Amino acid sequence: MTNDECRMTNGRPGAARAGKHLSSRFRHSALLLLLCPLGLLADSLRPTLPAEERTNGKHTLEAVEKLKPLTIECAARIESLLGRSICTATIVGEDGYVLLKASEVPELHKVRIEFSDGRKADLREVHRETRLDLVLAQAVGITGLRAVSFGGAHSLTFGQWLCSVADAGKETRIGIVSAKFRRIPGEGAAMGIRMDEKAPKAGHGVRIVGIASESPAEVAGLQKDDVLITIAGEKVSLSSRVHDIVNKRQPGEIIDISYLRKDKEEACRVRLASRSKVLQNWEGEDFANGGVSLRSDNFPDVLQHSIPLHPIDMGGPVATLEGKVVGINIARVDRVTTFALPVEAFWAEAQQWIKADRHPPKAVPAQ
Amino acid sequence: MRTSFHLLLLVVLLSGRTNAAEQRQSLDKSPKTDIAELLKIQKDVQKLLPKVRPALVAIQTGGGTASGVIISADGLLLTAAHVPNGPGKEMRIVLEDGTITTAKSLGLDEKTDAALAQLKDRGKPWPFVNLSREVAKALPGEWCFALGHPGGYDKSRGPVLRVGKIIKQTANSLHTDCVLMGGDSGGPLFNFNGEVIGIHSQIWEGRDQNVHVSMAPFLRSWEAMQKSQVIKTWGIGAGGYLGVATVMNDSLDLEVADVIEGSPALKAGIRAGDVVLSVNGEAMTDQQQFSATVRARAAGDTLKLKLRTQGKERDVSVKLAQKPQEEGQ
Repeated sequence: MTNDECRMTNGRPGAARAGKHLSSRFRHSALLLLLCPLGLLADSLRPTLPAEERTNGKHTLEAVEKLKPLTIECAARIESLLGRSICTATIVGEDGYVLLKASEVPELHKVRIEFSDGRKADLREVHRETRLDLVLAQAVGITGLRAVSFGGAHSLTFGQWLCSVADAGKETRIGIVSAKFRRIPGEGAAMGIRMDEKAPKAGHGVRIVGIASESPAEVAGLQKDDVLITIAGEKVSLSSRVHDIVNKRQPGEIIDISYLRKDKEEACRVRLASRSKVLQNWEGEDFANGGVSLRSDNFPDVLQHSIPLHPIDMGGPVATLEGKVVGINIARVDRVTTFALPVEAFWAEAQQWIKADRHPPKAVPAQ
Repeated sequence: MRTSFHLLLLVVLLSGRTNAAEQRQSLDKSPKTDIAELLKIQKDVQKLLPKVRPALVAIQTGGGTASGVIISADGLLLTAAHVPNGPGKEMRIVLEDGTITTAKSLGLDEKTDAALAQLKDRGKPWPFVNLSREVAKALPGEWCFALGHPGGYDKSRGPVLRVGKIIKQTANSLHTDCVLMGGDSGGPLFNFNGEVIGIHSQIWEGRDQNVHVSMAPFLRSWEAMQKSQVIKTWGIGAGGYLGVATVMNDSLDLEVADVIEGSPALKAGIRAGDVVLSVNGEAMTDQQQFSATVRARAAGDTLKLKLRTQGKERDVSVKLAQKPQEEGQ
């Protein structure tokens, strides 16, 4: 990647500029302190719009306050057993049925659901649909929920306002339909390593020669010069084999890895991410604020919107200003892009999953 | 040194106080938004989109991808200076419908990140949009919208739209909460007349930290731009610096309240108590207009001021200097 591109993609030179600006702002605020006793505002020459009046500030969000019963009350927060927010869920049945982003919750027994009324429950997995990256679950022992009211997404227009549940189910934010509906092809999974194509001296294992910034491999603690020994239980000695094992899996899947670091054997678990994203953001130039979703591609149809969300907001509902839910947030992709699965892509199917679960086929008595 | 720096800032602040009070008032008119207002904004943007969208282009250079906007039927193109990164550079241009052509960069200004390019003649007019000539009047809180090709041209996705608000304006830039990223560089920011008010330039980490080159540095060289001349430098720094603090006096005239030590104004003989009647023939009626007029001109430009001192009118020429302390971009 050339320097040019870095600048245009706001990479390292961009970051350096950001640092410069921020430090000059800091000096400015020191001056502000100095000047305050004189009753002057440092920014009065060039007024700055207060945070509450910005597009997603308190005053602007007043417009969608009345929609909260149709949005926030129809969503729930998913937390780890230690209480950390993991993602968001959309309520689709008053008897506890919820939809979640499947790749964020590979192990449903390790999470809990918290509803907006404060009730908490365990989740029972009903149906997992990798193609849509959705999982249908039921909150155990919960009834009397408010389910979302779905409306069609394909009648939305370019630039139409939408609102969405944010802050792990606690708040709403607004944005617009910001691009065309389309299919997002998938390029498989990756962990973000470059490997030595030659086998190491000992004749087994594969040496890592580079790690992508903010990649699954970096998050798991892998480093340059580590030598991979086993991947998902299989001994490896060819980089092409490592590539095959990883690439046929789905983003969000966890694989166990053992490796040699300075002749000492170590182990770690890596949660794979979408390959396209890992490669694109190799140098960590994303400026994504709050990170991106592990799985950000391979969807049959997406609604792209500009609502400022985080990966933990995925799984939550997206609604029109009339309160009709038109989709479920499915991937935070980068600084400007969030994908939602439009209602048309999943709801007919999901209703079948619910129906089948509510009315399981009766066992035929033996004659 | 340090003390004098503080002092300068103080005087500058004095001159800005009333302006800010006026502007705050306009911000306070409707602190709370309702659905009707959002729907009005949506309607206005959707009405303008078919007119402005065809003028957006994707730019592909050896170094990466960016955006630009056509501003005349004969194919003048605005973009950010870091996109061509030099005059006379060939760039590959993609229109929204997939049409591919080329453009050559003309003048650019690295300091403000403003650049101009010329599309290859295609024998028929290019779709274009107009520039706002009054960008200095744009206030924080005004709605605006941005188009661009973040991440590069993608036919199945199309251009990406963002709707947001102006957060702040400096001499050469606008800051908005229209969230930008790589590939957007050079793309247009529009007001609700469908005019270009900014060109996407850079971002900081925060979501509200999106910086656009305002039309001010472009307009400073407007004549040269119309002639498609190669412009090597478009003035330095953050607009011209005069070095006076003004107040509106009891008879509602624009009066000089203070003159900064060592400033161009002091050297030209401007003193506290002088009333500013006009600048380059344009009558001055308020402080905002006056500071915008001064800021819209580059360091090195000469201003002709008509002043009134103790009932007597006189003309003064002042060569603007560079601002001693630069704010933002």
